[in-house]
Amino acid sequence: MNKNTAYRIVADIAVLICIIHGWWFIALPISLLASWLCPYYIEIIIAGLAYDAMFGSFPETGLWGYAGTISSIMIALFIAGAKRVVRK
Amino acid sequence: MTYLRTHSRGIGRNISIATVVVVVIAILAAAVRFFAPQAFLGLFNGVAKPFWRAEFAVDAGALSSPEQLVLDNEDLKRKLDEADVRLASIQYIEKENEELKALFGRASTTPKVLAAVLSRPPYSAYDIIILDIGADYGLSTTSKVYAAGGIPIGRIAEISRDASKAILFSSPGQRYEVLIGSGNLPATAVGRGGGQYEAQLPRGANVAEGDFVDAPSLDSKPFGVVKAVKSDSSEPFETVFFAPPVNIYGLRWVLVDVSGKHLNP
Repeated sequence: MNKNTAYRIVADIAVLICIIHGWWFIALPISLLASWLCPYYIEIIIAGLAYDAMFGSFPETGLWGYAGTISSIMIALFIAGAKRVVRK
Repeated sequence: MTYLRTHSRGIGRNISIATVVVVVIAILAAAVRFFAPQAFLGLFNGVAKPFWRAEFAVDAGALSSPEQLVLDNEDLKRKLDEADVRLASIQYIEKENEELKALFGRASTTPKVLAAVLSRPPYSAYDIIILDIGADYGLSTTSKVYAAGGIPIGRIAEISRDASKAILFSSPGQRYEVLIGSGNLPATAVGRGGGQYEAQLPRGANVAEGDFVDAPSLDSKPFGVVKAVKSDSSEPFETVFFAPPVNIYGLRWVLVDVSGKHLNP
């Protein structure tokens, strides 16, 4: 197992625990770091979807109910672009 | 002099595989949410539920030592005996209340089921709680949720097969008609989140801290208790802040009305 895979597994476990408890404020920095360190870190989008499915997205919240999914997609796109520019 | 270009030009080439993967996943996720809105709720609740249950069991003392459990048991038995004495008088008054309502044809026969609170504020956003029962217990999106003592605190917002999501009445932006104080002054309560509400009354309405707030129905349980009154001599209104008589941060069990008839508190 290389270093990146180990980082990825640790980050995935940490993000899973945080999302289950609704601790988005801890899951966010861990996901950001993992997105930067690991290639194709799509788990961030799954985490956003899971957060919204469990804690948001019912009619009264409107678009705010999808904040987790939208922000995770934006972060994933931003990090992918930033990595491409910085690591060229 | 010829310079070698360090990178290729063109928008198409700048779109990385990662970007394509992210966009494809986003489109798939949006499609699933559009065509099967409950799919993700069932899937992720299924993953999270064992963890929530384990945490619930640990909170309930599943890992305590046998000595500690015996002590807790004795303490609880003593408290239960004390509560039984108080309960007897309350039951007498409730019975009398039901008899009086029955006399006027307004008796309450609403069936309720007990549900464990798996996740609650402040960690769950938007003032929602997650319950361990769902469609399997006959819950519907019109079911009301009550805290201990029959205090109305919210309603079911989303249901999966074996779990449900309840939105508290105090969720930000939610509005309800209420009656405040001993004078039963009508007002519109607005949820502020965190189990808090605010309502505006004309200045000099004679409402004080500790006054009860009721919902205009035959349900005799208070909707909230006034915690503070903010008055400004330059304003024609005063703002009343109130909260439910129960601490929503400490909710472990709730009752859910399965008749599905009521929408207002």
